[in-house]
Amino acid sequence: MENLLEYSSLFLQQLVNGITLGGVYALIAVGYTMVYGVIQLINFAHGEIYMLGAFLAYTLVAILGLPFFAAFVLTILICACFGIILDFVAYRPLRKAPRLAALITAIGMSIFLQNLALMIWGSQIKSYPREALPDIFFKTAWSAGDVTLSWLQVFILSITVLCMAILHLTIRRTRIGTAMRAVSQDKATAALMGIGVNRVISFTFAIGSAMGGMAGILVGLYYNAIFPTMGYIAGIKAFAAAVLGGIGSVPGAMLGGGVLGIAEVIGAGYISSEYRDGISYAVMIAVILFKPSGLIGRQVREKV
Amino acid sequence: MGFRLSGQNHRRLFLGLVLLAILLPWLPLGASTNYILRILTTAVLYMILALGLNIVPGFTGLLDLGYVGFYGIGAYTSGLLAIHFDLSLWLILPLAALNGALWGILLGAPTLRLTGDYFAIVTFGFSELVVLVIRNELWLTRGPMGLPGISPPSIFGHLLTRDWEFFYLILLLLLVVLVVVTRLQDSRIGRAWFAIRENEIAAQCCGVNLIRYKVTAFAISASIGAMGGAFYAKWFKFIHPDMFKFWESILILCLIVFGGMGSIAGTMLGALILIPLSEVLRAVLPQGLFSARYLIYGLVLVLMMRWRPEGLIPFERAQARKARVAKERLKI
Amino acid sequence: MNPVLRVTRLSKSFGGLSALREISLEARPGQIVGIIGPNGAGKTTLFNCLAGLYHPTRGEIQFQGRAILPQVSEAKAEHIQQCARIFMVLGLIWLPLFWSFFLPDAPFKLELMLLGLFILAIRFLLVQGLMRFQIWAWSLMFVFLLSDLCFSIRWLTPPFSPVHLVGTHVPLGYFSWPWGLVAGPFSIYLMIQLWVRQGRQLYGFRLSPDAICRLGMARTFQNIRLFFNLSVLDNVKIGHHIQMRAGVPGALLKTRAQREEETLTEKEALEWLRFVGLEERAFDPAGALAYGEQRRLEIARALASRPKLLLLDEPAAGMNARESSRLIQLVLKIREKGIAVLIIEHDMRVMMNLADHIYVLDYGRLIAEGTPDDIRSNSKVIEAYLGGGAAHAEA
Repeated sequence: MENLLEYSSLFLQQLVNGITLGGVYALIAVGYTMVYGVIQLINFAHGEIYMLGAFLAYTLVAILGLPFFAAFVLTILICACFGIILDFVAYRPLRKAPRLAALITAIGMSIFLQNLALMIWGSQIKSYPREALPDIFFKTAWSAGDVTLSWLQVFILSITVLCMAILHLTIRRTRIGTAMRAVSQDKATAALMGIGVNRVISFTFAIGSAMGGMAGILVGLYYNAIFPTMGYIAGIKAFAAAVLGGIGSVPGAMLGGGVLGIAEVIGAGYISSEYRDGISYAVMIAVILFKPSGLIGRQVREKV
Repeated sequence: MGFRLSGQNHRRLFLGLVLLAILLPWLPLGASTNYILRILTTAVLYMILALGLNIVPGFTGLLDLGYVGFYGIGAYTSGLLAIHFDLSLWLILPLAALNGALWGILLGAPTLRLTGDYFAIVTFGFSELVVLVIRNELWLTRGPMGLPGISPPSIFGHLLTRDWEFFYLILLLLLVVLVVVTRLQDSRIGRAWFAIRENEIAAQCCGVNLIRYKVTAFAISASIGAMGGAFYAKWFKFIHPDMFKFWESILILCLIVFGGMGSIAGTMLGALILIPLSEVLRAVLPQGLFSARYLIYGLVLVLMMRWRPEGLIPFERAQARKARVAKERLKI
Repeated sequence: MNPVLRVTRLSKSFGGLSALREISLEARPGQIVGIIGPNGAGKTTLFNCLAGLYHPTRGEIQFQGRAILPQVSEAKAEHIQQCARIFMVLGLIWLPLFWSFFLPDAPFKLELMLLGLFILAIRFLLVQGLMRFQIWAWSLMFVFLLSDLCFSIRWLTPPFSPVHLVGTHVPLGYFSWPWGLVAGPFSIYLMIQLWVRQGRQLYGFRLSPDAICRLGMARTFQNIRLFFNLSVLDNVKIGHHIQMRAGVPGALLKTRAQREEETLTEKEALEWLRFVGLEERAFDPAGALAYGEQRRLEIARALASRPKLLLLDEPAAGMNARESSRLIQLVLKIREKGIAVLIIEHDMRVMMNLADHIYVLDYGRLIAEGTPDDIRSNSKVIEAYLGGGAAHAEA
């Protein structure tokens, strides 16, 4: 048994790290997939909300001195509001416009927000000062041989699982969840059935952005590096995860996130760490080329 | 923009601009002549790039987010050929264009059957991969150390060193690209492209092979981008992976969205307005803010889509003008 | 005369929904064939199958004597299943060979074992995809076949070399040789199959809509699909696309041939506009035309490709009595040119005046066929569709 552990400790540690990262990607991916489900738009600016979450939490904790968990909750709320505002300002006026126009708007918003953050916070990488964070994060929760699991990782994993569970229950069991599913299948009919489509869409953005912002805080904490362009890289990876799982499917985004996180960490460990980001791009391109409906997703047919 | 130009006045305006462009280096602008020439050279370079990109979303209606990848491929092709083989510019330009077309075909063939959103993302992924490869394959590109010491171009043995010489060179390139794009637009191929843009399914049923025409458009667009990159390497004499970030693709997209996607005149106008504008910003803003100038480009994209998605000179306007000209010709 | 179009037991289902069931029909040159039926009966689905936009589930379509719907016959399907099974068995044997070859020297043993299992799992998924004729499985197959080929070449080591089957003292050669000798040729065979035309037919590839247009079938659409931002003349010129030859070189160099072709195209396009009566509007944007004019433009565009068979999908929709009379005259003129016409219509006056032969669809099934008089008095048809309309349809 010890032999096996010795052989596999690198692999198991990679697995642990990969699952943690995967959880974060899943959080972001879920935001993409939900928005795509209801308005068939890839919200490029979603990565920026993630980045905003990281920066806000940092500002609240390191500059304004708030206790960490208070900042955590506050940031999530602000991100949710921000998502609603984003939809209202940028996407709602273009509901009836051709796809290309909405796509370009999304990209424009993404670039705008990245540079806004650049202007406000500067391009230097920010880190949390050690004293501002709860001590427990830096202690090890469990270890076996060379494999360690820190409390921070436990925190990330448990929050992720909790959120996924709540989201799943919301979509399956509550009224608003059913409304979301209805709108994603057929907007016009849902409206005729008395569902306030715009409200449902705002709600979707709120939830997606809250989770995205949460992911931002967690990543900022985990890697202790916060910079304005972190959003767009993570955004693309999360989008890759969403596509891998099947765009429009929430369980798919969760699965895709997990798979991509593990694939990225293992790839970076065994193949090459410079092409770390490239692995996500490659996975995404491969999935789009070979199986665009992803692992779980459904095909959409155009009426001729 | 509500004024209409008849065929006659159009020609006069065009000739006037051409004359102005040719005489520019000799105008009495004093010490700032070189500065203005450099800005205009940049503007014309971006005009060429925008004309190249215009083919894909403007003519065929697909969003290409990875244009900077071809720009980078062209620049590095040109730089490496110049440094290792010391080839002349007149050989480098076509070779870079060919390389660009090759990559356009390689990328386009499997991906152009995807829907618009996915295609956009895949092109983006491609350009990111290109930058990653450039940055990491030190044996080929020297990665983050950049590629310095690219020799300037020479014509019949005379080395091009002065700003006005490069200005004329880029004007020549612009002329070539304009001829190519205009002739393609007014031909059977151009019509097929517009058909694809307007209604893919109807185009198919009229006998237009979607993949073939989309790949052709993509390859031509890529080769123009590569050619622009090749010129840039020889002009700037130093290239570095950071010059080919994703934001450049957005900038070029912004030019054509602002000017009018699909209309050649609009694209050129967009470049002519926005590129010198960024120079104005450089002069006016403090250093820190200037690197955030892409904020304005992002904002331009959002605002244009909201309030004037057809751009300054809409595609429909160009079509209507063409129709009027044809009508005059046939006297119907 | 031989039929231009012969459809035999065409079926199309979308998942669980059966849109067309065993439709058989025929059209001869110069014949006007009508298709009628209540909404949702599958008429437009039929057109989409003919034009190549949908892939029928079963059946045959013969156009001008040529099969345009390569089908996966029972024998071919069985062949595919066999290939898939062989591929899987080869994969199972591959796994221990892979481990034997790489494990002894590997620094990461557990990972390598897992990698082997992972690859086997993907092979298994591929086999599932193959059996269900899924395109992604076919494209990915290539990669695996290539790797099998490389492995088989690599593993044809002498039978008594020091490599042993993992965990034993048996020389690996005893296993890798048979495997290599089977996997190599099998991979080559299957790779050829994937690319030769027969392979394309085997795996359900079909003629694309533009290829079908090139064969001589043109159509109009129920929801008007014009190129609205282009001029009326340009729309027709695009219809003429397949009759032209100019490519990129011709366009760039403006050769004499290209210029002449453009002039001829323009002339013919104007001819067709004159034919449908839209000549004065040649230079207006297509979007500016009135509804009835737009429908006529679609017909002109379809005619510009010089088709042998014209599919008209509800051409009289939204037209008043005068316009539909005009349409009837137009279609009769088209028939005079020897073009066969397949027409879907709800307007009974138009249908009864034009059609030589009518097919009636209901819920995707053919419930009746015959001359207009036969149909008018057919009780099944009246019950399903015509109802009180039969009384109002005048000869």
